Amino acid sequence: MEENRLAAHLRDRPAQLAEAKKDGVKIIGTFPGNYVPEEIIYASGAVPLCLTHGGNPHPADAALSVLPHVFCPFARAQIGERLLKENPYYSMIDMLVAPITCQHLKKVAEVWEYDGDLEIFKLGIPHKFDGDFELEYFTDRLRVLKDRLQAFTGNEITDEKIAGAIALYNRMRELLKNISLIRRTSPSLVSALDFVKLNHASFYADPDFMVDVLDSIYQELKDKQQESKADSPRLMLLGPNISYGDYTVLELVKTAGGEIVIEEICEGIRYYWHTIENKGDLYQSLARGYLVDRVPCAFMRDSAKKRLDFALKLVKDFNVSGVIWYELLCCETYDSESYYFAHEMSERNIPMLILESDYGTADTGQLKTRIEAFIEIVKGVT
Amino acid sequence: MIELLELCGFEKQEIEAELPRIEKAFNRLGITTEDIERGKQRLNKYYDVELKGIRKVFRLCVREVVSAVLAREEGKKKIIYGFMAPGWEIIGSALVSKSSEVYAANLSWAFQVVLGCVFGKIVPILEAAEKKWLKAGVVTHCANVKTFLGLIVSESVPRPDMLITSGSLCETAPKTLDLLHELYGIPVCCYDTCQDRELSDYLDGTKRAIDMSAKSLRRLTERIQEVVGFEITNDMLREVMDARGGLDRGIRNIRRLIENSDPLPIRAANDNLWTILNMLTLSIDDLPDAIDATNTAYAELQERVDKGLGVVEKGAPRILAMLFAQHADPRLEHLAGELGIAIVASDIGLAVPYDGATEDPYVEISMYLRGSLSTSLPRRIPLIVEGCKRLKVDGVLDRFHAGCRFVSGDAPLLKDAIEKEIGIPVLLLEWENFDPRIYKHEEYKRRLEVFKTMMVKKPA
Repeated sequence: MEENRLAAHLRDRPAQLAEAKKDGVKIIGTFPGNYVPEEIIYASGAVPLCLTHGGNPHPADAALSVLPHVFCPFARAQIGERLLKENPYYSMIDMLVAPITCQHLKKVAEVWEYDGDLEIFKLGIPHKFDGDFELEYFTDRLRVLKDRLQAFTGNEITDEKIAGAIALYNRMRELLKNISLIRRTSPSLVSALDFVKLNHASFYADPDFMVDVLDSIYQELKDKQQESKADSPRLMLLGPNISYGDYTVLELVKTAGGEIVIEEICEGIRYYWHTIENKGDLYQSLARGYLVDRVPCAFMRDSAKKRLDFALKLVKDFNVSGVIWYELLCCETYDSESYYFAHEMSERNIPMLILESDYGTADTGQLKTRIEAFIEIVKGVT
Repeated sequence: MIELLELCGFEKQEIEAELPRIEKAFNRLGITTEDIERGKQRLNKYYDVELKGIRKVFRLCVREVVSAVLAREEGKKKIIYGFMAPGWEIIGSALVSKSSEVYAANLSWAFQVVLGCVFGKIVPILEAAEKKWLKAGVVTHCANVKTFLGLIVSESVPRPDMLITSGSLCETAPKTLDLLHELYGIPVCCYDTCQDRELSDYLDGTKRAIDMSAKSLRRLTERIQEVVGFEITNDMLREVMDARGGLDRGIRNIRRLIENSDPLPIRAANDNLWTILNMLTLSIDDLPDAIDATNTAYAELQERVDKGLGVVEKGAPRILAMLFAQHADPRLEHLAGELGIAIVASDIGLAVPYDGATEDPYVEISMYLRGSLSTSLPRRIPLIVEGCKRLKVDGVLDRFHAGCRFVSGDAPLLKDAIEKEIGIPVLLLEWENFDPRIYKHEEYKRRLEVFKTMMVKKPA
């Protein structure tokens, strides 16, 4: 029921946004990674859209005319989507707030800046997340972003509006977290594919509508009882990126009899474990929430241990018996970290499978075989 | 060995005194008699070792390698390696000038010259890193980072007390340090800035990036002070910067002379040596040797220019190369010369003007952020186009370092912009600037030959 309502909303969303544009509403694109506070964009009266399409080799290949193959397929897909002009979301944005996270997404912003047909705001993300002047820098940049958005939209961004937006997005994160926590049951009441799609929808849907949908889904799930005990191995998905449309691995795991019950993904999944403090200096609150009070992505300094500790906590909390590390080809930081994670998981007798993808379809058979074999191994261990 | 050391600029007396150390270090690195023989051949083939100035640079590189390998057993109490750390050459110089118990160096550069360029033996170091987390293959990890990691995990150099890198140019180096910390327990420190400068506010944005870097560098020196046990003052840094002034001028003079000469007076592979020389963390006592090397080379090159002597024909096509010359393998630059192409400069010397003159050494160190390799694509393009016009080049060779996303991502659009704006050909060469295994002689020969025919021929 709610799924149908959400599907209809997403189907109509491009047309809705096109209408809004005619009325002067600005559409502001961002990139995933959860370093751009959508709250500020929302408070400006503009519509935030987190561009997170991927999984399709066609746009990633199209980008090879402007970016070498050493860039990850997700970064290339962003370039390709705009080059191909087939995805309405990528064509309708009036401005990009580009988080300067890894070199891959930074280069996408630079390429679009060079093209010159889009307003670009580069939001510097200090790569040391727990330093004093880094926090100050990020806070300052958020204030500059506010000024830029005010000028761009012609709307004043008041503290009241920011507070309202924080409350709205806090509610969205809280609901996603609650739904995620329900997945601790066995069998999980929500499949990984459904949860990831729901999470992805939150990047494109109207946020008020999305909160309403999430609330209904949560209410429906929380009283639901499990009908049987599952024997599927409970797995965790780790890695840099699961984009909108990149569902092959999720589907293959399900088909092979495994059950991904939790994801720890930097890009593509909306981060929902934190709450932004909605009092005091709200820009400092946002800066702290988006930079400090969260699990750092792999491009951050001293992040490997913190990410490992969080992953191990999830293993325990979600009763996980195996880990699938899913990385995109040419993502050098996550590729390096996979060695460390494999080493640490092995020390704890937690099986870990490392998969790579270039969004190509040719390697699906190989992925299937490897996933099936891995699930057999996990079954054997448990 | 003695013949090799003479080619590397060692005097007889010094050879007698230093030979046991050098042999010990070379043995530790697995350098064999065959390697020594190959080293002599490569030095004669690829470098202008008939110039005393060039030999003097090789001498300093060999000394650096030997000192690194033997640092612990020669009594260094604290060992700090920097990597991809612009400005570390100044802080490191200050450290070694202050205390003889500290060894501080940019780890990979001198090893790439000696093991890579001279002996052709860098691959085992790269393979050591590939057995860890910088695996070979399509992921395309940077071989510079591999060299750094390989030297440490193969125990070719002593385990350090601290590792330093910057994060403003890549993520692979900081990530490798992060993992060295987690898996080997080595203390690490990274200094950063945010690369969020926009084309429209370039100068203001540069100030923002430089200020952030300066703060981060100050925090770095606080961490270093804890390790070495003494204060690093602004005066110490300023003294080193003043002492290095002669070196900077010497290198700049050589590069200007080469840029403005026809025929090209020196083989292009030598260009890498000036970059390395600039990166050595020499003490104030040792800096005169480096300055002497540049002054000697300049005088020798001026003599060649005055006599009209060159390594390619007068009127040969002049090209600007993107990035430094190959750090561990001189063959591509040598091939270009053999084909009659004059690589007159690289883009590393091109910088965005900035009027933020300062007394603060940390701000001054952070000025590297104005350079071509540290700017964003929309600012780098006009910088290079202006450079092409000033240097009056006939073409651009963009041997883009595939292991570095920072620079490789610029290549296709740089080519597009240069060809549109000044109408000269650009050859894109997917490249690894630190891994000799990338070299494909026949392919590069064919492509460079075609490239040459595309360039406008100038009357001799």
